[in-house]
Amino acid sequence: MTTKQQIRVTVNGTPYVREVEARLTLADFLRHELHLGGTHVGCEHGICGACTILIDGRSARSCLTLAVQADGASITTVEGLRNRETGHLHPIQQSFVDAHGLQCGFCTPGFMMTTLELLNENPSPSDDEIKEALGGNLCRCTGYQGILDSVRLAASRLRTAQDA
Amino acid sequence: MRPLMAIEIPTRPDQLPTTAPRFVGKAVKRIEDPALVSGTVEFIDNLSLPGMLHCAILRSPHPHARIVSIDTTAALSLEGVEAVLTGDDVARWCAPGITAPEGWGNYCMAVGKVRFVGEPVVAVAAASRYIAEDALELVQVEYELLPPVANPDEAMAPGAPLVFEDRGTNVIQSRSYTWGDIDRVFAEADRVVSRKFRWNRVGANPTETFGCICQWDLADNSLTCRGAYQTPRFMALGRAASLKLPANKVKVISHAQGGGFGGKGGPRGTDIAALLSRKTNGRPVKYIEDRIEYLLAGGGQSWDRYYEAALAVKADGTVTGFRVRLVDDQGAGAEGYGTISAAKPLAAFTGNYRIEAAFYDMTLVATNRAPTYPYRGYGPPPHNLVLESLMDIAARELAVDPAELRRRNYIRPEQFPYTVPSGNEYDSGNYAAVHDRVLEMADYQALRKAQAKARAEGRLVGIGVVSTVEPGVFDWNAYATVGVPGVGVPEGVKVAVDILGNVTVAVGFNLQGQGQFTVAAQVVADYLGVDMNSVRVATASTDVAMPHFGQGGSRLGVAVSGAILGACDKLRQTFSRVVAHLMHAEPEQVELIDGRLQLKHAPEHGMSVAEVAGVMLARSDLLPPGVEPCPEATYVWTAPNRNLPDDQGRCRSYLTAANATHVVQVEIDRDTGQVTIPAYFIVDDCGTRLNPASVEGQLQGGVAQGVGAALYEEYVYDAQCQPLVSTFVDYLVPTIHEVPMTTKDHLVTPSPVAPLGAKGCGEGAIHTTPAALLCAINDALSPLGREILETPASPHRLWKVLHGPCA
Repeated sequence: MTTKQQIRVTVNGTPYVREVEARLTLADFLRHELHLGGTHVGCEHGICGACTILIDGRSARSCLTLAVQADGASITTVEGLRNRETGHLHPIQQSFVDAHGLQCGFCTPGFMMTTLELLNENPSPSDDEIKEALGGNLCRCTGYQGILDSVRLAASRLRTAQDA
Repeated sequence: MRPLMAIEIPTRPDQLPTTAPRFVGKAVKRIEDPALVSGTVEFIDNLSLPGMLHCAILRSPHPHARIVSIDTTAALSLEGVEAVLTGDDVARWCAPGITAPEGWGNYCMAVGKVRFVGEPVVAVAAASRYIAEDALELVQVEYELLPPVANPDEAMAPGAPLVFEDRGTNVIQSRSYTWGDIDRVFAEADRVVSRKFRWNRVGANPTETFGCICQWDLADNSLTCRGAYQTPRFMALGRAASLKLPANKVKVISHAQGGGFGGKGGPRGTDIAALLSRKTNGRPVKYIEDRIEYLLAGGGQSWDRYYEAALAVKADGTVTGFRVRLVDDQGAGAEGYGTISAAKPLAAFTGNYRIEAAFYDMTLVATNRAPTYPYRGYGPPPHNLVLESLMDIAARELAVDPAELRRRNYIRPEQFPYTVPSGNEYDSGNYAAVHDRVLEMADYQALRKAQAKARAEGRLVGIGVVSTVEPGVFDWNAYATVGVPGVGVPEGVKVAVDILGNVTVAVGFNLQGQGQFTVAAQVVADYLGVDMNSVRVATASTDVAMPHFGQGGSRLGVAVSGAILGACDKLRQTFSRVVAHLMHAEPEQVELIDGRLQLKHAPEHGMSVAEVAGVMLARSDLLPPGVEPCPEATYVWTAPNRNLPDDQGRCRSYLTAANATHVVQVEIDRDTGQVTIPAYFIVDDCGTRLNPASVEGQLQGGVAQGVGAALYEEYVYDAQCQPLVSTFVDYLVPTIHEVPMTTKDHLVTPSPVAPLGAKGCGEGAIHTTPAALLCAINDALSPLGREILETPASPHRLWKVLHGPCA
């Protein structure tokens, strides 16, 4: 169990080389080794979706992924959303703020990462498509209505930005 | 000496010292959110301290067993393990937790025997959580199994095994309340409708579980606890008692929480981490509860209830009496204040109705299920389900429309303030207007027509129309007759203006999701005439914070507003003295308006709040005698005009009474028992809406939890008291697919007695939604002559009702 393996990952554009135990989850690696605490862990069984990140553009549960499985991958976490140059929030983040898409905010990074994947693939999702995409993320506070509004708003803003 | 001036708390937004409120009453963006969406908020598991160890807990696999022996030798010798904690340490160092009623508490870990699956038995502190969990696998525990007490019937049977031998009984508490001439109204009733109901255990399940980092200072013999604490001062007092420390030697630092909904705070986990720190010479010890631990034994399991209830009804539909017998399965003891939630319905026992007499008999029983804790609503959700279901049944028997039956019985607007038979006083409201508005919005007649058409097609479509009162701004006096004597719930703040006019509000609680930091900033910004982004809201640790309670009891938005308004009024009075002195006037001649203290008769002469603060901090030579160089004020608010209860529990308890009517349409799939919710309408009245967007969020979130409780969520135990639910695969929190997107509107009847006229609004929807859904389901079933009186009305349970023998 103490055997360590070397992994190379790119997280939010920054390359890392680290020695990790084979059993270390990707969530723990991101949170406690790279100190990217925005990826939250709610159930550790892949149900709640709070720990959702993008691995090579695809959403994944970082609680069910081992760090060694991410060797060679490019990972995006919530910390990668904000524009580093300007400090501005990503349109998805800003939409969650503007449309009251969060309360406690613990599940929110997972929802936003799922939304990022959805809108990358489908810039004009219907409500049913939004619900289908977000069906694997649990929120205990909002009752989802503000989240649905946030995703609609984000989609519209991203489309406008693309048209501009 | 100057006489103390009275502190005035505005009960309307237009009484704020501003031309027009810029923030109060507006759906302003929340100040909490930019950090939350950036992932930079310091939830407790994001914090590490130097030298920190990690705790893992071995939990009992048995519901009831004597501990014969524990062997931790192998665990202790594992590399990276620093300490092991067992019941022997706990018996030496601790007291059992404080409970209500007293004497039904456990130690933080099992001492001698285990009383429920999931009870801590051994804990390890190690260099990482991974190693700590490895070590647990090396611990050997030998148990001698005892017969489990699986449910209240078993618990109260003669010769039943005892959960707490020293108590001599499994009945924690049993008492009844009689309000009015209950026997007469039932004798004189034209019709009595009665049923038995079963509400199965549900729970809070915030997405963040409990976590803490505890550090024992061995030199000072004091303790610091950082963590996800909902009621920090309460937690500090409890830990001082259980860990045998003076209360001022326990400091609780509350971190932002990923939801709470009651029971957030982990007293057992805190004590265990604290003792491990003590055993490791004061190294900080982190304990993060995982989801399995939460589901087995965490805070927030609630309302494991068996009801027998009856309504007395006249032929014209007037409801005259309501009789309820409750048996509540509290699980293994009374440690989590789940017990007293049986008394919360006293604050609104007869709901929205002019019911003249009522009777309540409650029996709280200990079993070998996990102990119960508060969950959002704290008792009324099952109680309202019982009352509202009986209203529907009465309507069916009288062949009156269920909405119409309710309307006939509502308390009338001119009757406020209205004292209900169980003693509480409702401050204000207009129930018929709310009712009419939602029926209009839902086009109720069209819904009924569509239902008739669907029924003709053989479909099972139902409509629920349910009204509830939400007691807001909890007070301890509501619980005095069940073991928590006291009147008043202090909530304190400090408002500080700096030399540049920025304002800091120090509060005793931290973020949990409801948006109270935003409300605090809205109120202080409008009062002092500054921008919201000039306001910072900060959490004070318990050693320096003013008396406070924090989130709980649909109270904090109102309470923190009251505290801020009080502190701001003190500032206004002090600032007026400074300005009067500088301008050779009397303080009474100075007014505060839009952030400026000016002479009433010559408003061109005045100073900004920042200028006054600057003078106070930097020019003591200019201050009037007796004024401190301190542009800061504290104020501790508690609800006005509360009183002690009489022997039947009657008192003015909760300050405000919000109300709502929900209209919901459901359809049941005959083949699967699955319920869908095609339409859901809400009209509520919680007085002044301090932040309308946050109010809507509270409503919609409460609907979601109500959907869960009514249709999906259940802590299932088998006949041997083994929990069958231990992950989110089994405990079904509703997803975006199950929760209806509701259509909402509201009326505003400001509270005449609460700060800014706002009423507590955090729990109303979970008070209403389960009842509305069950009423709608039974409406759908009624043509079949079948009914379901048990929650959750899950697909398998409904399928059995549909396809089983007729009752």
